[in-house]
Amino acid sequence: MNSRLLVALIACACSATSASAHAFLKRAQPSAGAVLASPPKSIALAFTEKLEPALSCVNVTDSAGHNLAAAAPVIDGVSMIVPLRPLGRATYRVTWHAVTGDTHRTEGAYTFTVK
Amino acid sequence: MNRFKRVALCVVTSSWIIGIASPALAHGVVGQRFFPATITTDDPFAADELALPTITSFNHETDIDVDYSKTFLPGFAVEVGYGHVHASGDERGFGNLEIAPSLEVYRNSKHEFILTTGLEWEVGGTGSKAVAERSSTYTPTLKFGKGFGDLPDSMKYLRPLAVTGTVGYAIPGGGDAPKLIEWGGAIEYSLLYLQNNVRDQGLSDFVAHITPVVEFAFSSHTKPGEGGTTGTINPGLIWSGQSVQLAAEAIVPVNRASGHGLGFIAQLHFYIDDLFPHSLGRPIFGGKK
Repeated sequence: MNSRLLVALIACACSATSASAHAFLKRAQPSAGAVLASPPKSIALAFTEKLEPALSCVNVTDSAGHNLAAAAPVIDGVSMIVPLRPLGRATYRVTWHAVTGDTHRTEGAYTFTVK
Repeated sequence: MNRFKRVALCVVTSSWIIGIASPALAHGVVGQRFFPATITTDDPFAADELALPTITSFNHETDIDVDYSKTFLPGFAVEVGYGHVHASGDERGFGNLEIAPSLEVYRNSKHEFILTTGLEWEVGGTGSKAVAERSSTYTPTLKFGKGFGDLPDSMKYLRPLAVTGTVGYAIPGGGDAPKLIEWGGAIEYSLLYLQNNVRDQGLSDFVAHITPVVEFAFSSHTKPGEGGTTGTINPGLIWSGQSVQLAAEAIVPVNRASGHGLGFIAQLHFYIDDLFPHSLGRPIFGGKK
């Protein structure tokens, strides 16, 4: 085995984090499964990679499937933020999909509850 | 330069040149599920990836393997594997070259399911006489992956579970070697899925990217009296980063015929589609999936 090739590949792997790749969800506010005493005014998601705004999206719905976004999501860099209409006591579902500059796509969904 | 190196260099060079104009292809993702690359058994993805090296120490033998998989079309890849065997005594040398085309035939994002078919060809006579067979073996294979993200809320803590499986029928191309059923798979629990899709556990980024896994690989004779089933069960951990993956597993034989004592397997794995998304990491032909 060529040890130089191995070292070069490891160096590439370690330095490639700024290149486009799969965008995984890094932080969410409110987070998955959260139980909140007061309703959030927005949903904020942070990803591991820079997003392609035109191809990425986040939605918030109630149990009837109604969209609760107060405006279009703002997607900038690695973050997505969507302002919400006033929420009552219920469980809500956040769904997102993220596309990076190289067209790699990831998606996810989770729920949070306002009590 | 030996035959394998010439073939590998040709594949890599042509892929790099032609692949510049092609779109990217994601590895290991079906719907909301990310399946890490398993290290004992083949996972069901046709992807651009490199395992360099895979080190296996078990039953008085140490193997060092290299596997490179290149997509030619979205959902179609050819994997080339080569390795060095160091057994007890004078048994040492390179094993046979292995070539394995695979084709993803069905994906269901909602149910996190993927089905792949393939052929594994161990090219007889390409390895050292001391450790490699002179005749080829052909193994048509079926592989699948299933995530359990579609379970109901009452079972939400089982949603991070996923399984992969593989079953193949090994047909020797010559000699009196028996036909075998090669089967195995993996049971994995994704902490990333737990953290992001079920309930935030406050895990650090590093810990959240760990997937506890139990792999199993078995080989069964097809005719009674030729021998029973041998195999190993391999519990371990896979850590998946943005472009590189580290994995280590213990190797536990299931019976005496399968080997003696505990072993281990470890692998450094590169996601070529993430490392080189605009060149080597794209299919040679075909558009966006």
